[in-house]
Formats: sequence, C-alpha cells, structure tokens
Amino acid sequence: MALPISYNWRNLFVRKLSTALTFIVVTVVVFVLAVLLSFAEGIRASLSSSGSRANILVLKPGSTAEGTSIIIPEEYARLSQTPGVARGPDGRPLISRELYVQTSIPRRGPDAAPANVAVRGVEDTAFAVHDEVRLIEGRLFEPGALEVIVGRAARDRYRNLELGGQIALGRLGNRTCRVVGVFEARGGAFESEIWAPLTLLFDAYARRFVSSVALRLGDPARADQAVAYVNGPAVNLEARLETDYYRELSAKTREIVVLTTILVGIMGVGAAFAVANTMYAAVDGRRREIAMLRTIGFPRSSIMAAFVVESLLICTAACAAGLGLSLLVNGSRQDFLSEATWTVLAYELRVTPRTLIAALATAGCVGLAGAMAPALRAARTGVIDALRKA
Amino acid sequence: MLRLAYLYRNLTRNPMRALLTCAAVALPIAIYVLSMSVVDGVNRFLDNSARQLRLAVTHRSSIINPLPAGYRAKIESLDPTRTRLLSVCGIDWIGGKIEGDPRPLSTLGADHDTFVQTFPEYRLTPEEIAEWNRDRRAIIVGAAAARQFGWKVGDRITILPSLPPYQPMEFRVISTAPRAEDPLTLWFHRQYLVEARKQAGWEEERVGFYFIKCASQADLDHFRVAIDELFANTPDETKTQDEKAFMNEFITQQFNLPRNLTILAAVTVFVAVMAAANTMSMNFRDRLNELATLKAMGFRGTLISAIIQAESLFLCAVGGLLGAAGPYVAFNHTPLRDFTVPLIQQLDVRAATCGKAMLMAVGISVLAALWPAWLAARMNVVAALRSLE
Repeated sequence: MALPISYNWRNLFVRKLSTALTFIVVTVVVFVLAVLLSFAEGIRASLSSSGSRANILVLKPGSTAEGTSIIIPEEYARLSQTPGVARGPDGRPLISRELYVQTSIPRRGPDAAPANVAVRGVEDTAFAVHDEVRLIEGRLFEPGALEVIVGRAARDRYRNLELGGQIALGRLGNRTCRVVGVFEARGGAFESEIWAPLTLLFDAYARRFVSSVALRLGDPARADQAVAYVNGPAVNLEARLETDYYRELSAKTREIVVLTTILVGIMGVGAAFAVANTMYAAVDGRRREIAMLRTIGFPRSSIMAAFVVESLLICTAACAAGLGLSLLVNGSRQDFLSEATWTVLAYELRVTPRTLIAALATAGCVGLAGAMAPALRAARTGVIDALRKA
Repeated sequence: MLRLAYLYRNLTRNPMRALLTCAAVALPIAIYVLSMSVVDGVNRFLDNSARQLRLAVTHRSSIINPLPAGYRAKIESLDPTRTRLLSVCGIDWIGGKIEGDPRPLSTLGADHDTFVQTFPEYRLTPEEIAEWNRDRRAIIVGAAAARQFGWKVGDRITILPSLPPYQPMEFRVISTAPRAEDPLTLWFHRQYLVEARKQAGWEEERVGFYFIKCASQADLDHFRVAIDELFANTPDETKTQDEKAFMNEFITQQFNLPRNLTILAAVTVFVAVMAAANTMSMNFRDRLNELATLKAMGFRGTLISAIIQAESLFLCAVGGLLGAAGPYVAFNHTPLRDFTVPLIQQLDVRAATCGKAMLMAVGISVLAALWPAWLAARMNVVAALRSLE
C-alpha cells in the first residue's frame, strides 16, 4: 500500500525554505547542463545538415580545410574525367570550383568584436551542386557586378549583411560589394558564409587558383569509385564525401560534450549531497510521524518510496524550471572560430529532445542518489523508540 | 573556551549533515577552481603578451592574406639604429600534423636571426641558441606539445604542413622550451619553409605576419601608428596592433572562454551558497528552542549570531579546502597534468587561484548564515520557546 502523492506534496511545504533552496540548487544544475549542451546541439545541428551525400569535396592532400587548400588550374583540369559526375540540364558536368577566403566583420550588438567570416567564390554550377542553397530574399548576384549574397545565419549575426548592406572585400579591402540576396541552406554551415562570383574574388584577391572543388554525383552509391579515382594517381588530390568533411569539423562538439559531462557530473554530485541533506532533515523531523504510519500498517517499502517520491518531486519540478530557464537562450545566435577552417560558424543554441532526456536523467539521478540513504534510514526507524521519544 | 566547545558540539551533533554540507560546498568550489584556472591561464598568457612590448603586423583586410617579404627591411628602416625598434621577425603559420595522428599542431616558421631577440621569454640557453643558429632544420617545441607527442631534444620529427608545400618536412628538436609561457607552439626557421616551397614549385615568397619587439611602451605606441602609415596606400596595407589585442581576437572567438567560464564560476558559487544556506537554516530550525533558551539565560543576540556564523564558516572552510585542494593535487601531481585547453595552455591550477577559491568559501559561509544569524539576533524569546514541542 502506497502513501498518496498528496502526502508527499504537502510535506514539501512543511519546510518551505529547505525545499526552495534544494529546488534552486537542482534547477541551476539542470540549467547549466541544458545551456552547455545547447552549444553542442546547435553546432551539431548546423554541421550535420551541411553538405550532401551526393557530393564529394576535393582538397589538396595535406591541407586540413578549404581555407588552407590550394588547387591550381592543371590539377583542376584533371578532375573533369571523374567517373559518375552528374550533368546539368545544359549537359555540362556538375563540378563546382570554389575559392574560400575570409574577411573580418564585426558582430551585431554591443559585443562588436570582429569575427572571421568565410567568403566563398562560386560559379553558376555551385547552385546545382549545392542544391540545398535557396534564396529567401532578394536575388542572385549579377555577373560582373560587385554584388554578393549572404547566408541567413551570417546576416543575423554580423553587421551590415542585411539586404542592401555593403561590405569591403578584396586584398586591399577596396571592392565594396552590395548584399543583394539572402540564402538558406537547411541550417547548414553555408549559412554562415558570404557567397560572391568566383571571378570577382579572383580579381579582388589576385588569385589564380581555387581552394576546393565540389562534384555532384549522379548516383551517390558510386561515391567510392569517384573518391578512389580522385585520390589515385590520375588526379592525385584528396576527395571525401562532403558530409564526412563537415562531420570532422564537428569534432569540436565532442569536446564540449566531454567538458559538460565532467562539469555537470561534479555539480550533480554536489546537488545530490544537497538533496540528501534536505531529505535527512525531513526524515529526522518526521520520526514520530513515520512510526505512526508504520503502526497503522504502512510497510517499510511505502515509507521508503514516500521519501524517494518526495525527492523526485523536487528534482522533477527543478528539472522543468531549469529547462524552462534554458529556453530563454534557445535560438540565440552564437558563433565559434573553427580551428580547422579559421572562420566562424554562426549557429543557434538549441534545446533539443536530447537535452531534455539528459536533463531528466540528471535530475532523476540527483533525486534518487540524494534520497536513497535518507529513505533507508526512514524505513529502518524503530517504531517503539520513535513513538516513545517526546 | 566554552564557546569553542559549544561550536564543536554543534558541528558534530549531526555529523552526516556536516559531511554533506562540506561536500556540497567542496564540489562547486572545485568547479570554481577549474574554471578560474582556465581564465587565469588566459589572462597570464595575455599579460605576458602585453609585457613583451611586441607589435603584430598583419594584412589589413585579413590575416589570411600574406605580406610581402620585403616589409621586414622597410619596417627596420623606420629605426636604423635599432634602439627603439629592437627586432622584426617574419612569421608564417603552417599548422601541420604528424603523419597518422589526427591531433593538430600549431607550427610557426620564424626569421631565425631575429627570433631569439623577439621572443626572449623562451629563455633559450646559449647552447640552444647556437644549435638554433647552426641547424636549418632546428625546431623548438613547446613543453606541453613535447610531452603529448613524446619528443625529446635531439629527436628527428616529420611534420606534414597544412599549407604549401604540402609535403613532409623534417626537423630536429633542439629545445623543449621548458620556461616558455606558451607550451603548445612549435617554432622553426622560416627560411627552410621558403626553400621547401621553392623546391615544390611555389615561387613567390610572402610572409604571414610580422612580430616586432619594441624597447618601451612609448616606442610601441609610436610604431603602432608609424608602421600602418608607412604602408598606407600600397597594395598591401597593414594592420598593426599590440600582441595582446592580436591574441585576444582569437580567444574571444573561441566561445569567449574567459567570459563564459567566469559566468559558470559565478553560477557554481551561487549553488554552493544555496546548499550551505540550506544547512544553516535547517540547523537554526532544529535548534530554535535551544537558542531561545540561551537567550533567555542572558546570552546576547550578537553572540548567538556569531556562533551561527562561526559554524557556517567552519563548514564552508573545510568544504573550500577540499574543493580547492582536489584540483590542485590532481592537476599538479597526477597524469591530468597534461590536460590541454584548446588554443591556450595546459590547465595550470595555481595556488593563488586556490587561495581565491578559499576566500570565496569564506564569502559563501557569510552569505549562507546571514539569514539565520539575523533571525537569531532578532529572535523573540517568548514566542520561540512557546512555538515548538
């Protein structure tokens, strides 16, 4: 026979201050967990939706990212024979040459520190290869004009990137380009970039080479063949699936998750001690009451369950409060400088179902761990002694 | 004496509670120590940058655009006597990896003739300097990097650069820079890189950025402006900033670690206050009767408050000591010593940071006991004696 929940509920209000303080401790722990994980989730969400399984990305062997890769025209020419490349409606193979440079743009808001924003020079085929890129505002740049389009995330995070805004590009910073369009790319990494005509960047940065080449495959299942061809002696460059490239970049999120686990683990243990402290006080304060309950027939297990439920009630409520608080940061834009590309990825902090599960698990563990020892003590209360004591 | 005995009795009458409180304070304090160690590490790194009176000259539009190699001579010509502008060192970043190892390196090529003077904080011994000047393939590896990869002085290592020439380059370790502030960076002769690039067919010689050592703060301020003026209206305009500002730009872009970790530290201290306050309020509640009796016997409210404060202080101090000592021992005397923080440093938990944490613990104890102590001082004896059992 179990004690009614209302008994637990009302007990929580007997020691209001203690309950409130314990509640706050667990709330803060859950909040910290949710916020830290939202960084990792945001980055993961952005990078995992980047790239396409049907694309392979070609870089110079040895380079770690697009920014450090240099592919000269002769090398590029060797790619035209790659097997399995899809063709566009005009019959041309879907091979996109891209030049990856960066420019320093201040962030929006009071924190005006400059960030290294990626600028990608593209040709028409880029939009067929990266078919997830879709204009949501304005229009595409005109060939020959000093015009660029910007990703949605970049527009939200950095200054002067709204439609009609102007930015200075080029080695001399003397090519003032106008933003004529805003694009989205399924929330992926391209959304943190500025896209400009390839010829514009060749000229502005005095370069005669490209950084990377993206190839669209007709049949994604045959990617291995294309990758092997590019890596082989015929081309001697380094190819990989585009999705793999972005998965490697998201290695950072693992670091955050590890750090979060350690920090929240330590805090969680601390919180469990705080809960245990409160529950011990609750048990000690109710010895006579417990003895009374035992006398009228409640078994030890019910007494134990009652205290565990009480602790879990506090922790679940705190979990809800912590998650509720973390929703305040949900969707806010952050960015981080990737150590591989030396450009920033702008992403949204995300509180996801995964965060929810982690928060519930943490709060549950804290509640259980904190309640176990006190509940055992409660269950072992000697009935006669407790009743006799004044 | 009697008061101390009373304090001792109070602490031990509910040992479980005392223990749990200590632990609940110790763990947040441990996190405080860890986060502040990172923040202090970053600040020490930046302070060193500021102390070194160095300027960083980069391309005005972006650091990825290299500067002409001739800029060194032009900058040097600003002070031919070399009394105010002590040395100019051209630097090129090649990142790099060891074959078959995913861990990225931070490898920089520097003008070997001015490196020693520009970076005196490496405190190379005369023998090491002789080796550095003698061997074109000499490389100085940071102490933490040397530990991570198991390199010793005299080892031959092969690094695959992330930039042209994209071909393995062989080096010989001449120093593990045990006294440097920056334990992760690897330095080698930039001239070697230039030659390797020429061999691989990359003709044009350019330099990533220049570091300039100045004689005084006034000279630093002077040249910061003078250098940019020198190159104004040329195809490659420059952006000159002091080293601290230059480094800070990278650090704030890495999740703004210093600021965010400070926030985290503040949050954990708040958690500790709540946990300790919980104990103190429970103690107060349990002993209401007794405290009222003490007051009825003539003890002053201030004394009773002081006893409550002292008990809180003791609990938090023990908790703080444990919380500060844990990370201190773990990161100074166990394999965790080699733990590295991205971009900056190994995690160096210093006694000063632990001392700050102890002060925090004292602050926590005062805050935690504030409310019960105030209640005790203001207690209405008659009502209190009547209220419970």
